[in-house]
Amino acid sequence: MNRTTAGLSAAAVLCLCGAVLFYNEETTYERQNADPYMVAAQAERLAPLAAAVPRDAVLGYITDAPGGPADTAMFTAAEYTLAPRMIERSANHEWVLGNFTRPGDFFAYAKDGLMLQHDFGNGVVLYRRAGKP
Amino acid sequence: MTELFWVVWAIVLGVTLSFSLGGFAALRPRWGGILVASGAGAAGGIGLSALFYFIGVLRGSATLAIAMEMTAIFGGAFLAWKRRWPRTAEVSESRGLKLTFAAAVALLLVIVTLAFAAAWQSNPQGNWDAWAIWNMRARYLAAGDGFAARAWSPVLGAASHPEYPLLLSSFIASCWAFSHSVSELAPIATGYAFFLALIAMVTGGVAALRGPIMGLAAGLVLLASPALLREAPAQYADVPLACYMAGAVLLAMLDRPVFAGILAGFAAWTKDEGLLFLAIFLVVSAVIKRRAAILALAGALPVALVAVAFKLSLPKLATSFTGVSGGGLASRAADFSRAGIILAAFGREIAAMSTSWYHPVLPLIALGVACGLERERLRAAVYSGSVALLLLLGYFGAFLVTGYDLKWQLDTALGRLLVQVWPLIVITAVAAMRAPKLAAAPAPKAQKKISGRR
Repeated sequence: MNRTTAGLSAAAVLCLCGAVLFYNEETTYERQNADPYMVAAQAERLAPLAAAVPRDAVLGYITDAPGGPADTAMFTAAEYTLAPRMIERSANHEWVLGNFTRPGDFFAYAKDGLMLQHDFGNGVVLYRRAGKP
Repeated sequence: MTELFWVVWAIVLGVTLSFSLGGFAALRPRWGGILVASGAGAAGGIGLSALFYFIGVLRGSATLAIAMEMTAIFGGAFLAWKRRWPRTAEVSESRGLKLTFAAAVALLLVIVTLAFAAAWQSNPQGNWDAWAIWNMRARYLAAGDGFAARAWSPVLGAASHPEYPLLLSSFIASCWAFSHSVSELAPIATGYAFFLALIAMVTGGVAALRGPIMGLAAGLVLLASPALLREAPAQYADVPLACYMAGAVLLAMLDRPVFAGILAGFAAWTKDEGLLFLAIFLVVSAVIKRRAAILALAGALPVALVAVAFKLSLPKLATSFTGVSGGGLASRAADFSRAGIILAAFGREIAAMSTSWYHPVLPLIALGVACGLERERLRAAVYSGSVALLLLLGYFGAFLVTGYDLKWQLDTALGRLLVQVWPLIVITAVAAMRAPKLAAAPAPKAQKKISGRR
């Protein structure tokens, strides 16, 4: 075996090792990190609310989540799930999504003309501004 | 499952056009030409399909996209039928070694696909940017009834980057809209198609440039590049962009400047970094390839104009890169401590392209030691190397002036930027090497000596 063949064989064997190591790394990682932001679960969680709000709505957004990555993940996952509806971080809309992390007094958020329209459970609450049809 | 039909449809569209119009029949080895035509066709077909859908949506009729695709596919099929690929002499290289390398490529493809399957199963919606940016905007584009403009509405949160180009989102939207089903199959299949197209183009293209063994070796290196493999099932736009960039550079090296330009144009419509790539690609082509640059520009122009027009038509968003980075730009650029932080991050991320003890630069070193460099081939390597180097410098400059938190941006973006450039680095390295049959060919005198000993 000359230097060229040896080098080419070494490269091929190294690549094989790399692919096998990657396979081990990836399968282990995926076992431990299935849907870390629970995006898939939002489809079921937000489905009743989606059925109650028109497709062209721009929803307001209220949450009890403190700011940070978890809050951004909750907001963005809700926006992804409810598209083509849009969501804006404001209560100044006809329809407002309450996206809560824990049970609480959801009526406390119903102020300044905002009424609690429906509590769908699982931290999903729909508010609607009074005076709107 | 019908989403898959539309992914395959787009691939067939592009492959038909590339086989009929690309002039890849002249490439040797024949399988190299077929791989380049298939890879460039798949990536080009997806890009074309996305463009047609975007235009159709803007015109208020998604079916217009299907009409345009039908016209292109039947026109391409007719031309492909008229121009059958001729059978000519093949490149002669060690058949045993070639078959061994081809088998290794097939084996690695199976291994990495099984690894991807684990990712598709546990995170079918992809990683963060997939559902927060690309697939989210695809949902608006697919919704019909005038909802498309929401894909670039300022109301869309800053995390969803309404200012980003729309090739990937448009294509996924077209699959969803035509199949009347919004499932994860379309983005998963699209991501895998781009990965396969990248592997096909690099393997076939390098085989045509430097011989079958080096082509297969380049494919092997990419199939064993952990950082690239981690991004492939993430459903981000980085692998599609890497595919367009590598394809454009390879096709330019293979003297197919119009097709190279088309892929470079699609790069500009895939991600913001693609606009930087397009500019660099055209400048480097003008300096090194001269007249071919005009043809490349002609190929790139239609899609590049869509990308630029899209950018210019948007209101300037305070949360976009340019919006955030405008104020204090000069002071940040002159801050040497930032340059140090960025260089250290480059070092860290290059090291992190590994898994366990394995780093993808190892097989490249083995190939380099085995084959050595070839002076006559350095010009080709200088071309792809210049594009890669200028891209890295561009990324360095972007980090230098960014108004976002530097540490956050380096942590979240630099690894993926390196993935975009990595195939160009592999192409450059392999293009500079001596083809193994030349290295292996012993001098007549030495041959005599050896036989004498026996």
